[in-house]
Amino acid sequence: MMEDNWLLRVRNLTKIFGEITPDVCERTGPKFSSNICPKTGAVVACSNISFDLYPGEVLGVVGESGSGKSTLVQMLYFDQPTTSGEAWFRSVEDGETNIFDLSNQRKRYMRNHLMGMVYQNPRDGLNFRFSSGGNIAEKLLMAGVFHVGNIRVRATNLLNHTEVPVKRMDESPARFSGGMQQRVQISKAIANNPPLLLLDEVTSGLDVSVQAKVLDLIRSLQEEMGISMIVVSHDLGVIRMLTDRTMVLKHGQIVEQGLTDQILQDPQHGYTQLLVSSLL
Amino acid sequence: MGKLLEVVDLEKRFEMHILNEKQIEALRQVSFEVDEGEIVGLTGKTGSGKSTLMKCLYRTYRANSGRILYHAEDARAIDLASASEHEVLRLRKTEITYCSQFLQVIPRVPAIDVVASALVARGARLDEARLLTRECFERLSLPKELWDAYPATFSGGEQQRVNIARAIISRPRFLLVDEPTASLDLKTKDGVIDMLIDLKNSSTSIVLITHDEHTLTRMADRSLHLENGRLKEVVYA
Repeated sequence: MMEDNWLLRVRNLTKIFGEITPDVCERTGPKFSSNICPKTGAVVACSNISFDLYPGEVLGVVGESGSGKSTLVQMLYFDQPTTSGEAWFRSVEDGETNIFDLSNQRKRYMRNHLMGMVYQNPRDGLNFRFSSGGNIAEKLLMAGVFHVGNIRVRATNLLNHTEVPVKRMDESPARFSGGMQQRVQISKAIANNPPLLLLDEVTSGLDVSVQAKVLDLIRSLQEEMGISMIVVSHDLGVIRMLTDRTMVLKHGQIVEQGLTDQILQDPQHGYTQLLVSSLL
Repeated sequence: MGKLLEVVDLEKRFEMHILNEKQIEALRQVSFEVDEGEIVGLTGKTGSGKSTLMKCLYRTYRANSGRILYHAEDARAIDLASASEHEVLRLRKTEITYCSQFLQVIPRVPAIDVVASALVARGARLDEARLLTRECFERLSLPKELWDAYPATFSGGEQQRVNIARAIISRPRFLLVDEPTASLDLKTKDGVIDMLIDLKNSSTSIVLITHDEHTLTRMADRSLHLENGRLKEVVYA
């Protein structure tokens, strides 16, 4: 049945900074208007997050700053250790092993072959001491492509695709504009043709026309390659344009999830109603 | 002909948590059926709940109670009010299309690709999809110089036709269409109506909202009249 056709399945993913007490998740969240435990001061960044992501699906994650959006994708990309919770990836050990229990070697394999990440700040995803081409080469080398000629061709294609002047591929991204840096970062993230792409606030801080270009790029990549994506954004416009389904996070918990058009036109939770009614 | 849709005791209210829990009753005890290949008109005053009902059928709105049984192509009966989001997304991609009153498109996509992408999403090749789109635009007499322009700059009637083209190009099994002829002159209006009737003749079922008598009498097999969120009467055309 189609109900079982997931690419990524996440259950009860939790991240706590500070002292972990058994009922810390019950003392925090939207009900308490805080993600800080009143007893221990521990911060619950993500509290029991569960969802399924299907192949080719784009899932939006919205919420205010500090709601746990970035922590969520960082855990999935193994940037941050989890506190508890499980996740399975269809093509990894037949989807039967919790990916957080994998050996470091297998986790690296997943990062290099199955996932791409685009951070809000290009400095997190790119190495500014390397050239733009070198950054893409780094990702390809990790994914086991060692032929320099092939790497060069692939890097050229990617930069062309993302409209970064190929003439400048040997320059450091430090000398690029913000929008160009972001497009180099996207090139790098998709260099290994990953089935899953994680996008963390990729258009925040860019001006409108550059934002539009980056969004167009992401949309066309999704249509051409059918990549599954998790799009983290506080911008409902971005969510509306890119996603099929949306989860709304507040104080580390999912307060509402549904079809993106339903979330935007018939929000059920008070917080989502506030978000939507604040839309310009 | 078999049943396509059975709506039973559908209720919808809007609860506004940020306006002191204000509640608005939108639909009460709405029950009706739609047959395969039938066009059902929804009529009623502005604010009577027509669009709300249509959005509930498409799951843009979440019904508070009641059932919306949809008999899918594979003969399963799926309750659209409670089906999983993935199931609804799959049906939207393959069988059910909603054509809103006003065109809503992703910015910076030319008209031809707005429509062609509806076919590409269903597995067609882009060049074939564009070919079919051109034929469709031709029939809707959309001026040629607009085909590769961005619809955001179009007139109301031009946008309307792009909207219709996008909704019908994939020949959906079930079409929800809100005021398809509102901003069109009589001749263009008849063109749109002809295309929708063509679709019905190839066994598409249509739920139609319109205030326009001409459109209603030409298209609807039957119409349902809404008053304050309740179905008043069933009128056979």
